[in-house]
Order: sequence, then C-alpha cells, then structure tokens
Amino acid sequence: MKNAKLRNICISVFVAAWLCVFFYESTRYFFLEPLARTVFHVKKLPIFKFLFPPAGWIMFFNVSPEEGEVVVYGIKNGQPYRLDPHEIYPVRFIGFDNIHRGIMGQVLDRRMRRPFCRYLKRKIPYFERFAVTYVYYPSVVKNRYQRREKVIYQCR
Amino acid sequence: MIKNLWTRLFLEERPSISLSLFRIVIATAVGTYVLPTFFPLKDTYLSTAFKSYNPMFFPVWFLDWIQRSPDWLVWVMVFSFCVVWFFFLIGLFSRISCILTMLGCYYFYALNDFVLGTLTWDILLVTLFLVCVTGYHGDYFSVDALRRNDPDAYRRRRPFFIQRLLQIEIASIYFFTGLHKITVNGNWITGNPIYYLMNLPPEGVTKNFLIKDFMATHPALCYWAGLMIVATELSMPFLLFNRKTRMTGIYLGIVFHITLILTLDVPAIFFFLFPGMLFLFINPEHVLRWVEAKRSFNRQAPRHKLIFDGDCGFCRRSVRYLQIMDLYDTTDMIAYQDVPNLTELHPELSKEKAEKRVYLIEPDGDLSGGFFAFRRFCFLLPMMYPLIVLFFFPGSGVIGPRVYQWVAGHRSLLSFGKKTKQCSI
Repeated sequence: MKNAKLRNICISVFVAAWLCVFFYESTRYFFLEPLARTVFHVKKLPIFKFLFPPAGWIMFFNVSPEEGEVVVYGIKNGQPYRLDPHEIYPVRFIGFDNIHRGIMGQVLDRRMRRPFCRYLKRKIPYFERFAVTYVYYPSVVKNRYQRREKVIYQCR
Repeated sequence: MIKNLWTRLFLEERPSISLSLFRIVIATAVGTYVLPTFFPLKDTYLSTAFKSYNPMFFPVWFLDWIQRSPDWLVWVMVFSFCVVWFFFLIGLFSRISCILTMLGCYYFYALNDFVLGTLTWDILLVTLFLVCVTGYHGDYFSVDALRRNDPDAYRRRRPFFIQRLLQIEIASIYFFTGLHKITVNGNWITGNPIYYLMNLPPEGVTKNFLIKDFMATHPALCYWAGLMIVATELSMPFLLFNRKTRMTGIYLGIVFHITLILTLDVPAIFFFLFPGMLFLFINPEHVLRWVEAKRSFNRQAPRHKLIFDGDCGFCRRSVRYLQIMDLYDTTDMIAYQDVPNLTELHPELSKEKAEKRVYLIEPDGDLSGGFFAFRRFCFLLPMMYPLIVLFFFPGSGVIGPRVYQWVAGHRSLLSFGKKTKQCSI
C-alpha cells in the first residue's frame, strides 16, 4: 500500500509536470510570447529544448500562393546543365520524397555555401563549377507560369 | 471528486496489452524513418555529407559536441542503432532498448538535421519519450514476455497514465494544428491553402493524384475542403474523448491520414504513427474482454493439438513459449509420453515419429510435422505473424526442414544441461 501510494505520487508529479510543459510548448511561440510581450514586456519566453518543435504544432498552417524552389546548375565548358535534386541528394524515404518537402531550401542560407559547394564537388565531380539559384513563383494561382530566377551563389 | 477523476484518468490500472502493441507501431515508425537514411551514409552522416543543424531544438553546446564525432563513431552508432532498434521492435530488454533507440534518434538528428528534421519527426520524438518513461510496453508481444515466462502476460494490468498522456498528446496535436490554421499567422480562412497546394509546380509538396487537376480549377471546392479539414482537426479531441463518438473520431482520423499520404509528400510516419496513436483510444479493458471472449470460444471449439517430446527440456521450454504466445488459446500442448496410444489422436502418428519432431494436428484432421507444423502455427499465434514472411519466403520449404532437422538433432545441446534420455537421440 505504501509503495502504491508512493508510485501514485510519482506518477501524479510526472503527469502534472508533463502536461504543463506540453501545453506550454504547444502555445508558447504563437500565443504566450505575444501575450508576454504585451503584458510583461518580455521578449522571449524560455524554451524546453530537446523535446518539442520550436513553434508548436503548425503543420501546413500557412500556405501562400507564392512558391519557390532551389535549382542547382552544373557548369561544364561554360554550358549550364540543370541538375535533378534527387541526383544531388539521393536519400529516398519510405513513402515520401524529401526533396518535394522543400529540404533543398536550406542550402540558400549563405552560411551553407561552403559546405554545400564542397559537397557538390565531391558528389558530382564531372562539372567544373556550380550555380545555386532560387526560382520564385509570385503566384501559383494568378499566373502559374510566371517565374523569376536569381543566382544566389556560385561554387567555383 | 477531483481526486476520483485524477485517479480514473491517470492512476487506474488497466491492461497494458494496447501499449505493448503500440511499441511495435512506434518502433516501425522509427525504423522506416531512420534506417533508410543510412543509405548512403557518406551522403547523410559521415564527414563527407552536407549537414545542417537545428539550434532551436538542440542547445549549441550539444550540437558542437555531436559534430565532433569522427566517422568511425558514426559507423559504430549506426551499427548500435540497428541492434537496439531491432531489440526494441521485438521487445527484448524493452525498456533499455527503447531508451537507447531514443538516444540514437537524438544523435542522428543532432548530427544532421537536413536528413531527419521535420515536424513529424519532432512528434515522433515526443511520443518515443513518453513510451520510454515506463517499461510497460514490453509486457506482451515481446521477447521479454517469453523471458518472464508468465502465461498471463497478456492480461497484465498497469497504471494507465502513459496511454492517457499519449491520447492527450495526439488529440492536442490535432487541435493545435487546426487552431494555428485559423489564428495568428494561419490563412485557412483568409486564404485558400488547398487551392494553392493543388496549383503548385510539379516540384512542390503535392502528389499527382487522380482529382488534383479537377481541384486545381475549383477554388470554392478547395476552400470548403480546407474548412472541413480545420473543423475535423479542431473537433478531434471532443470526438476522441467522448465515448459515444470515439469510433467516429478514430475512423475519421484514419481516413484523414490516408487522404494526406495519398495527396501530399508527407513523411510516412503520418501513416504508421498517427493511426496507431488513434487506436490507443480503444479501452484496453475492451481489448482484453475481446481476447478473453475469443479464448473462451476457442476452448469450446475443436482444438489444435501440438504433440511434443515431454522429456526434452528444450522442447518443454519452447512449448511454454508457444503457450505464452497462444493469445487466443487455440492449441492443446500434449507430450507424446502422456498419450498411451498416439493413433487415437491421429492414425498416421506413432511414437517413433513423435520422438523425431513436433506434430500439429488441426481440427479438420490435417497433420503437419517439424518445420511445417511451425509454419501452420504462424497463423494461429499473433506473436508469430511477423514470421509468416520468413516461413513462406521462396526456398524456405527446402531450407526450413533442414534447419529444423539440425535443431531437433541438437536439442540436447540446446537444453542447457537438462539432458534426458530422449533428448540424447
């Protein structure tokens, strides 16, 4: 009985703590932080790292008609060749394609330039250099064929 | 009153059989997500790979520490992960293998966010953390259940809090996902996200499903579909926690995830993990009652009979394992020494035959022996279902009987000292 009581206390403490942290992290970024900013003039609330997504459960919460994708060109003898992103990053997960999820977007960060260029040179040594571009579709519904392409950086 | 409610919600003991089954679900989800990232390793985790980090999820000191991993350590971690993940899947040293699997997940996530980092991966980690808190998930459908040698393992009762927290987690995730879509920066009321998704270029997240083009030209339909999705997500906690609407909620959730995986390039865990979590809303008392009803029915029905060598320690131990695995109580285990005249059980059976291998007599009189008896057995014992693939793999009909013959011939060695006259044949 004594052990059962102790066990129940332990479980209760754990459950209470877990529920507090879970709901805090579920609402922190979009609800609690703006509230804390207004009421207490606090910029950021503490984050429980290691467990929860930084902005809560936000699956597809904001889908805009603007769209963008990363296009990488391999250049040989001055001639650019558009590279299939699957060739650059061939990981295929069971049931879904990571490339379509937009992971290549991360390489646009200028801090990623050096590691990504090194990776490209190792992965596809055939090309002399590479150009990483961003293709931007201003509106996929109003004019889906309108696209702007901009070179973000080159790998020499 | 609050104390009673708290006790009923979290402290009450209920059968842990659902949580045991959920262990297999989450292990499968982890496996299908992590294992493919090991191929090819030089593009994913070794020093030659392109990597990105998630400083929002991990502290920077932790990322720095993990990034110092030399390639040999990555190889060791990959090998170790495969081993502990497999142990977790089959429920061997369930608790420790669960914790080690989770640590492995953290390691690879910190090593390269580019490969693993998605929101669903975060959901998987939260879920895995909760599962790791107790070892209840190893009570049944596990090798641990066999090691404990408890024939009543399937009806073991445990505090319900882990299953309840998992229920709260999934219901809240639905709710907050819906809430974010219509508040703060969400645009599911002010915009038409489904319509935008249908019109994405081929490189986008939308799959090329049958009615995509039709939806891409019907914005009003897309808008209402979007509102239906939000309404479904917001209502999920109420549907799932209300006893009368629970099954509707579960079916709705499953249809929702099937639709999701057919239309969008979302991680496969949506398919493995979420429906599994929805099934946690089925009261384990009802699951147990269903199992007991099936056992009681099978006890009255014509039964299978397994004839084995009762003087052999290895055989006795194996039969004990089979009894634990026989969730629906379909089979009588009979030592051939206990039957004076074996032909009464089956006209083709004799003492000489029974000495050499086990035999399974089915209710319709079919007799199978050795490897083929085990092959038939796979369909009777839920814990042996995964072996169906192995037992029916092309060529297993040739190799299997030889392996069985070898094991039967060496069973005295496998008895670990419990050698008997019959075992030494």
